[in-house]
Amino acid sequence: MFKQKPVYSVIVPVGRRVDDLVTLLGEYEAALKQSAADFEMIVVLDGWKEELLARLREYGQTREWLRVLQFSRDFGESAALTAGFTEARGDLIVTLPAYWQVAPAEIRKLLQSLDDSADMLIAVRSPRAGSAFERFRRRAFHGLLKWITRHSYHDLGCGVRLFRRKVADEIPLYGDQYRFLPVLAVRRGFTVREVELAQSPLDRFRGRYRLREYVHGVLNVLTVFFLVRFTKKPLRFFGSIGFIAAGIGAAVVFVLVVQRLFFGVALGDRPALLLASLLVVLGVQLFGLGLLGELVIFSHAGETKEYAIRSITEFRQSAGEPAKPVATSAVDPEDRVRENGVADYVRENRAS
Amino acid sequence: MSLSVVVPLYNEEASVQRLHLSIVKALDAGGFDYEMIFVDDGSRDSTLANAQAIAASDPRLKVVEFRKNYGQTPAMAAGIDLAGGDIIVTMDGDLQNDPQDIPRFIEKMDEGYDIVVGWRFNRQDRVLTRKIPSKIANWLIGKVTGVPIKDNGCSLKAYRASVIKRVPLYNEMHRFIPAMTTITGARIAEIKVRHHARRFGESKYGLSRTWKVLLDLLSVRTITGFAQRPLTWFGWLSLPFFLLAVLAVFAALVPMLHADGTFSVTLAGTGVLLGALGIFLILGGAVGELVFSTHKFDRDTRMAPMVAHKVVELPDARLPDRN
Repeated sequence: MFKQKPVYSVIVPVGRRVDDLVTLLGEYEAALKQSAADFEMIVVLDGWKEELLARLREYGQTREWLRVLQFSRDFGESAALTAGFTEARGDLIVTLPAYWQVAPAEIRKLLQSLDDSADMLIAVRSPRAGSAFERFRRRAFHGLLKWITRHSYHDLGCGVRLFRRKVADEIPLYGDQYRFLPVLAVRRGFTVREVELAQSPLDRFRGRYRLREYVHGVLNVLTVFFLVRFTKKPLRFFGSIGFIAAGIGAAVVFVLVVQRLFFGVALGDRPALLLASLLVVLGVQLFGLGLLGELVIFSHAGETKEYAIRSITEFRQSAGEPAKPVATSAVDPEDRVRENGVADYVRENRAS
Repeated sequence: MSLSVVVPLYNEEASVQRLHLSIVKALDAGGFDYEMIFVDDGSRDSTLANAQAIAASDPRLKVVEFRKNYGQTPAMAAGIDLAGGDIIVTMDGDLQNDPQDIPRFIEKMDEGYDIVVGWRFNRQDRVLTRKIPSKIANWLIGKVTGVPIKDNGCSLKAYRASVIKRVPLYNEMHRFIPAMTTITGARIAEIKVRHHARRFGESKYGLSRTWKVLLDLLSVRTITGFAQRPLTWFGWLSLPFFLLAVLAVFAALVPMLHADGTFSVTLAGTGVLLGALGIFLILGGAVGELVFSTHKFDRDTRMAPMVAHKVVELPDARLPDRN
């Protein structure tokens, strides 16, 4: 084990798709050792992988920087990453896939590209291999995402990412959100930049995309849509849709009632009445859902801060002395921020 | 009594200096013990740098830098969270409010009010796009929330810290703060304030938000009036639909009493649909109950509707004699 904490914590989540891991880790190791900084590597086996675990044990015998987490069953990549974050001790976190995506030698370029102005770097495989159809599919996905998030991404499928610890600390991951970590980071106010890295010649997804994956993908994007646009204001979303539905329904009912009253067309003979009441019912239901959403948000409003503070500047004066700076400090020390970090920070600052 | 002045700033580089000066001038004259908190809400101009430069020469100023632009409510919330004073005054950073008014707010607070809101009685804004819509909005907000304030949009307000810190502020709620605080049992007063025409920068509001405000108003009504008993509230909501359902089914059945009567599938179907909606709403209320019953209420930090905000201590003489 280390005497001091490493600079980089490299997390490799191992899910269903996995190439020859030991060879790959060897290549990662070579690339990481090119940079002088200390690193540790955490391999998270998502799902019981006895054989792989045995091989990693052997591999790790001479490599004290390697740790392996074995899940009792598969919990998904978000869980694997979260477990990795918890285990990580470095201030910078690198996630690498368990299969060839970018050429491992390119990792050095990724590490070198991080400067003070960015909180997260995400790799874009470039130039990227793939058929015309695959290119179209990728374009459609990222186009949709750009429309939703108003921020342009080019390769969210790439798991090669480098970010500061606070990013992992402040963003809870669950479900399929690991893929959208950069989107969530931007939403939280972090600066995310893309870095073009050469694609590995071995990067090829051998499976086929079936209908199920497509539906899944669309639902994922929908989730992000809600998260980014409406989590804080459910009634604005549900209420608007509900109002339109109920409005159309009410208009139809109005027409029918006018016809009944002045033209003697019996209401009972009008199938349009069914349609209209369906629309009204739908509209009111959506409204009700929106209100419920508001109640949920309200009941948690005391626990979550809507804002993130980058720095607090204040100068204090002790008697007889000129003002001297006590802060202009970034409010991001590793383990303090979180939800109520602001308050904690202030307390410390005052005490000093 | 200590005072915290919270000012959210967004692209106000030209105003910061004057703002600081006018606050200092107004409060020093009154001999107040105060601090200022400027919250830079992700400005794209040099607002932050200007504010930080002032902070270097004034220890009473604290400058908070947001990571990105979050909006006015979070900016105010951050300032309020960080404020250390017994009374918190919020105001706009665009110099349209006048800090000279602050001492009068404090006087009013001393009379025993928990919240004092400003009323820009001679508002210096465009009539058609700003004044008339805001008149209507204020009337509506007053009607719906039951807090008849003439000018909800005025940022110049003073709060007792113990009251405002308990109110969760999120989601462009700053407009409704007075309404939200009524649940804590706060006493509200309104006083006239000066209002200056905008000298620098641009106005950040427009007409387009009317719809959003309306929906927010509904949320506030739900929260302030019914948050503690969602099932009741949804139950009331479902009542008219149940009535309509009964009526429709009745109308469908009545013709059958006649010999040649036919049963109207359309009307019966409509009745069933409306009945289903009623049931849906009541069950929705049940889900609401679930949300609240599983949520752990923290009596100190959360808005605590059931807790009186002030305990009136009776003098001993008035206590019943036990002997």
